[in-house]
Amino acid sequence: MNTAFRTLFVSAAAVGLLAIGSTAQAQDKTIKIGALFPMSGPGSYFGAQDKQGVELALEQLNKTGVNGYKFAVQYEDSSCGPLPATQAAKRLIEQFKPDVIIGEECSDATLAVMPIVEQAKVPLLNAGSSSIKVTEPGNPWTFRIMPNEVMQGINLAENAAKRMKAQTAVLLFENTNAGIGNAQVFKENFTKLGGKVLAEIGFGRDVNDFTSIATRVAGLGKVDVIPTYTLEGQGLKITQALAQAGVTKGGGGNAIQIGTIWLPFGFEQKAGKAALGYIRIVQFDPTDSRDVAKNFAQAFKAKYNADPTHLNAHAYDQIMLIADVVKRGGKDAQSIRDGLAATKSYSGVTGSVEFDKTNQNIKMDTIHYMETKPDMSWTSLKWN
Amino acid sequence: MTTTIVLQQAINGVVLGSLYVLVALGLTLIYGVLVQINFAHADFVTLGAFAAYFFMHLVGGGYILSIGVAFAVGAALGWLINASIFTPLRRKGNELLPLIATIGVSVMMQNLMLAWFGPIPYAFETQYSSEVLRFAGIFVSWQSIIIIAVSSLTIALLYAFMKFTFLGKALRAVSQDRETAGLMGINPNQLIMLTFVIASALAGMGGAMLAPVLVLTPFAGTSVIVKAFAIVIIGGFGNVEGTILAGLIVGLIESYTTQYLDPGLIDIVVFALLLLMLAIKPTGLISERREENV
Repeated sequence: MNTAFRTLFVSAAAVGLLAIGSTAQAQDKTIKIGALFPMSGPGSYFGAQDKQGVELALEQLNKTGVNGYKFAVQYEDSSCGPLPATQAAKRLIEQFKPDVIIGEECSDATLAVMPIVEQAKVPLLNAGSSSIKVTEPGNPWTFRIMPNEVMQGINLAENAAKRMKAQTAVLLFENTNAGIGNAQVFKENFTKLGGKVLAEIGFGRDVNDFTSIATRVAGLGKVDVIPTYTLEGQGLKITQALAQAGVTKGGGGNAIQIGTIWLPFGFEQKAGKAALGYIRIVQFDPTDSRDVAKNFAQAFKAKYNADPTHLNAHAYDQIMLIADVVKRGGKDAQSIRDGLAATKSYSGVTGSVEFDKTNQNIKMDTIHYMETKPDMSWTSLKWN
Repeated sequence: MTTTIVLQQAINGVVLGSLYVLVALGLTLIYGVLVQINFAHADFVTLGAFAAYFFMHLVGGGYILSIGVAFAVGAALGWLINASIFTPLRRKGNELLPLIATIGVSVMMQNLMLAWFGPIPYAFETQYSSEVLRFAGIFVSWQSIIIIAVSSLTIALLYAFMKFTFLGKALRAVSQDRETAGLMGINPNQLIMLTFVIASALAGMGGAMLAPVLVLTPFAGTSVIVKAFAIVIIGGFGNVEGTILAGLIVGLIESYTTQYLDPGLIDIVVFALLLLMLAIKPTGLISERREENV
């Protein structure tokens, strides 16, 4: 091998090594986010809409990066259930090795995943599970942006009793941690305020026809409010059955359905006139005048040619909050966890974020009320 | 008030039971002739529901006609899947293969529908869904009246087909003894195909009837199929009359359990009945010798 060839060979090898080094460095400068979303089963509408919010946030963030970091998301189908969520979380942690995980939507699934992320020491940022058990008594690795069932339930019961002057209620809820928990918090606080709960009717996710339940409600006498806690599909059928039975305003009755954060926007249009007068808490107010909310709504409309739902919004917030933590120095699982815990008055699309010692967001401006009008549009009630 | 509620829940139970019967009849027909459980039956129901939905929303057709479309789509799909998947597997002589294939077809259909139609629930509204007939404190939607009418007509036609037509008698002959029927000049393979087509058509039609009641997603059929299996077992596997009776009983159990106990107990009551039947009368509500079924 002559000298010239040897020089050329060594130079080429050096360039190659440099290239490998810079690729490795570029790969290291990526924040890996695992997403546990329901992509199949009755809760799959959550996953479809969450993904839209995540993709919009990634598109915006990865144009320039944050502190030199890009963001990559790996989606896993957690199916709104404890078993598939557990398997999906293990797959994510073992194969993708994320710096942070977002999801799940359903409380039962989130509760099942929490011990796994704690053992792996990967922070879990939740935006859609309301069960109090997610943050009580506290888990150092799980954070929740969404107001929990107690925050929502107390607020809903107070508004039902004081603003709506309701004296009687019938509780309709799915038999899950979130369904039962939400209903119990409402009951406890509504009765403290002098209200009377006439019946508590729980049902499984496999119930198809709600005519029998509506018949039972119709036989209970004067009902003022019907707090309802279900996924969108069953929610539609309950609303229609209650109207058919002549119980709610939509069917010529007097009762008003109320609820916490369960249903997406567009529910009213699907339910039709049966949804008239439905008052419920949503996690995102499209009439919010803050720049962050207006810019999000515009960007979403530009990308998807549709108005955003609260699911789009809270998924977007999850990624943007992680980006904010990275901006403040977060670079791996431990520092992202610490950064999340130190979050003070972060202003997101759904509202402000500040975690208490249980890692629950304590800001109440994430609770927005909306009411369905006779033309099936809705109005923001500005009750908070 | 109490009498009104009892009567109202009876009507609710009969409507729900009629829907279950439509789904369960296909299952029991296939079992009666092939001695095979079709795990993909629920997905034929779902596809029928989507066929009716898109016929109404894309083509602009009426609801009653959409029931016929769902029937035809179910029949065509039943023919296609039996011809391309189940028949070749049946020829291999291993009865387990087509049974396992029904699970594969089910998973495949669910995921294809998820890819095509998306996960977000569809609102299947008809002009009959919100129109309610009210009398003496009772309410019945026109949709419910259509369900009872179409189910009754279907059951009557199926019964007449089985009892009075040559093909119906041939089907019963194949269910009694496939080999002997073959020796009498009946082509068992053609009749198995006919059974699949009828069962799938019924499932498709059941989907169109269920869609305005159910939450329409790619998993809609699976939410009723477990009940349909229970009904087929309670009624006696392969027994059409037993299936009809069991369907109505389960519908009534659901509505009265909701009224007087708790909707969360429905499955406990229904499946306790199933276990009871298996323990004391495993042949089903209406006892027949196995070879006289269908």
